[in-house]
Formats: sequence, structure tokens, C-alpha cells
Amino acid sequence: MNLMMVVGPVLLLFIVLGFVTYAILFERKVIGWIQNRIGPNRVGPWGLLQTVADVFKLLIKEDIIPAKADESLFRLAPVIAFVPAFAVLAVIPFTEKIQFADFAVGLLYYMAISSITIIGILVGGWASNNKYALLGGMRSAAQMISYEIPLVMSVVGIIMSVGSLNLHEIVEAQQKVWFIFPQFVGFAVFLIASISELNRTPFDLPEAESELVAGYHVEYTGFRFAFFMLAEYVYVFAMASLTTVLYLGGWNAPFGLTFIPPIVWFILKFSLIVFFLFWVRATMPRIRVDQLMQFAWKVLLPLALANIFITAVFKEIPVIGKFY
Amino acid sequence: MFGLVKGLGITLKNMTKPKVTYSYPDEPLEMPDRFRGIQHFDPEKCIVCNQCARICPTDCITLTGKKHPDPEKKGKVIDTYDINFEICILCDLCTEVCPTEAIVMTNNYELAVYSRDELFKDLEWLHNNNTNIRVENNSAKPKAPGGKSS
Repeated sequence: MNLMMVVGPVLLLFIVLGFVTYAILFERKVIGWIQNRIGPNRVGPWGLLQTVADVFKLLIKEDIIPAKADESLFRLAPVIAFVPAFAVLAVIPFTEKIQFADFAVGLLYYMAISSITIIGILVGGWASNNKYALLGGMRSAAQMISYEIPLVMSVVGIIMSVGSLNLHEIVEAQQKVWFIFPQFVGFAVFLIASISELNRTPFDLPEAESELVAGYHVEYTGFRFAFFMLAEYVYVFAMASLTTVLYLGGWNAPFGLTFIPPIVWFILKFSLIVFFLFWVRATMPRIRVDQLMQFAWKVLLPLALANIFITAVFKEIPVIGKFY
Repeated sequence: MFGLVKGLGITLKNMTKPKVTYSYPDEPLEMPDRFRGIQHFDPEKCIVCNQCARICPTDCITLTGKKHPDPEKKGKVIDTYDINFEICILCDLCTEVCPTEAIVMTNNYELAVYSRDELFKDLEWLHNNNTNIRVENNSAKPKAPGGKSS
């Protein structure tokens, strides 16, 4: 076991924490700009310490566990929610060399591990012993399980083209054409389903501030609440990375601009996806709860299935087939 | 479907538009003339007619006069003049009614203090509140050129 095995994940954790800190600031800044405001600018130069101050506030808050709550589950829930969020990062190939675990079923691993977070959310809602938290948790679980199916179905097209679940090989296969072009329908379904998986606007029904009390984390304060939020933003990191890897060609440089190092390309594409998430949040109103499930099962799933079918057909057509 | 893309385009364009916010505590807000701010008081002009105290709807003005120090002259001069900004509603009636424009409005508006006692402003304080004095309806102040001719 070499040193990198220990230092690498710790380094990644700090990178992810740094990302989360500044993603939150950047999100608030972007939403501010879109609403013709400046955004946070009081704490530190350009508001750079705003999130640090917010997190510090959460950490020094009193740690409250409701008297009627199931204490051990209540303590466990944020951990169950956060650990998978960080664990999925292991398979993401950031560049050709920077990847922690390169195994054959990387994509399956990501999808499987990321669904464990739902259990954390459900446990959090249950253990709070609060009807609002329970309803929020139920809603959240229903939404995330429903949208996971089109999410997985939409990437089947890629798996068929590449013939592998290994994320490294998926990126290698995109050296000439990124999958966003031949798999555009799959990309659209994946993007929508991933926003829903992330519980972000326009699919933020589980914690809709203007409608519900707060969703599954009503009873959480302090660092446990911070952990749920952290899990959410680590998933933004993971999902943006996965989208980059699957559809935007990972670290591959477009137009042969290979003099720019691959990690920079990865960060650029990754930032574009993250910006897109914030941009959508500032634009879209929340989807109606009665349309939420119908949208997943009656629109996204058939589209994803059609995408699989089209991919299978096009693979056999001589000229177009080489793109699939 | 197209509406979603259109909406995204609008929000993207909005990002480059100028910001509509004020950096208020850092930069004071410019109030328009005719703004009813904290009064400025000029004891030289006051003839102790008591009209401001009588018209005041909240009875926040208290004033006392004394005999003119020069025995040749008739009338009174102001001795004390206090406005209680706990109850003053800045309605502008005192300045409307003042025959000599001894009390006039300014564009200052910052009245937040830590103690209620500090809201009791006396003659000296009101006299020193001499910045941003309102030009409109004030004959002592020259009108800005190009303004509406009265």
C-alpha cells in the first residue's frame, strides 16, 4: 500500500470541500447576477468568506436531537447520506492518470452507490419522528427512485456504443466524437434526471422552501444539517463529473487543442455543467407535484427507451454506425 | 418546450445587465428634493410665533422664547427648541407653516440610535443639521438653474 492510497482521498476530500464552499458562493453570486443583484459581498473580499462564515455558524450551533426522535438512527442518517456521495467519486476518471479506482463496472458502481443516499434521507425523515420530516423523506425517496430509472436507462445507449461500463473506456471512446452529439436524447434525459436526483430546482419538491416546512431535514440543525447539505453539494460535484465523463468527453480536448492540459479541459467542462445547474435554478419554476411522477414515467422513461432503441438500430447502419 | 430555452436565454442576458441594488450603508442614498427629512433649524430667523408647535399633529415640538436682549426691539428670540423624534412623523407641516423659514427640511434621514434619549434633538443639534438642506419650497436657497420657473 503506497502513500498515495492514503493521501489521495484526503486530498480529494479537501478539494471537494473547497469546491462545495465556493460552489455555494458561486451559486448565490450567479443567482444574484441573474436577478440584477450583486450577491453576497460583505464577508471577506468579494464575499469569498461568506460560505465559511455560514458553515462556521452551523458548526457552533447547539446540537439538538428531539426528545421523541430515534436517537441512534437520527445520528446515523446524515452519515448514510454523505458517505455514498463521497464514495462515488472513487470511480470518476478526472484525467488519464488521476483516478482512484479503475474497475470494469464503474458506471454501475456509481449508480448503485448513489442510491444508498436515498436510504439516508428516508432514515433521517423517519428518525426525526415528525410528520413533516417523514412526508418529506417519503416524497424525496419516491422522487429519487423514480428518476433513477430514466437516469440509468439514458446511459444504456452509451454502454451499448462503448461495450463497457468502465468509465475510463467510455472517455477513451469519445476521442473523436463526444457522446453528447450522437446520444443527444440520452443526454437531455440524463441531464433532467440528474437535476432531479440532485433534488435541485426545478425538482426541489422534497425541500420546497415556499411550500413545505423544510422536507426531511426539518428537525436537523447544526453540523448534522450541514452534513445533509454537504452530501447534496458533493453530489453536484459527482454528477457534474459524471456528466462530463459520459457526454462531454471527459479530459479529451476538442478541436485538437491538446496543448492545454487534460485536467484543465476536465475542469472547464465540469464548471460548465455546474454553471448550467445554477443557471437552471435561477430560471425555472418548480415542477408541480402531480406532474412530477408522470414526467418521470411517461416522458423521460419512454424517451430513454427510445434512445436505446435508436442506438441499437443506428449501430447497424453502415455510415452512421461508426458514431454509435 | 421552446419556452424553457427562451427562459434560459433571458436569464443569461440578465446577468450582464447593470445591477439595480444600492450599496446603501457604504454610500448614502441621494434623496430627491422635496424629500421630508430631519429638520434644520435656524434660530436667527425664528420669531417665536409658536405656529410650528401648534400645527404639529403629534405635538413633538416644544419651544420657549425669551425677551429680546436689545430692549429697543420688540418681540422675542428663541431660547430652547426641541423636536422629539420618537414621535415626529416628518410630515413637513412645521416647515410649511413657518413664516420665516426658520425650520426647513433636509434630505438627511438617518435616525437610528441605540437609546431613545438620543432621539430628543435640541436647538443646537437641529442647527448643526445643516447638510443637504432642501432647496424646493425654500426661498433662502437658490433654485438650481434649468428648473421649473415658478
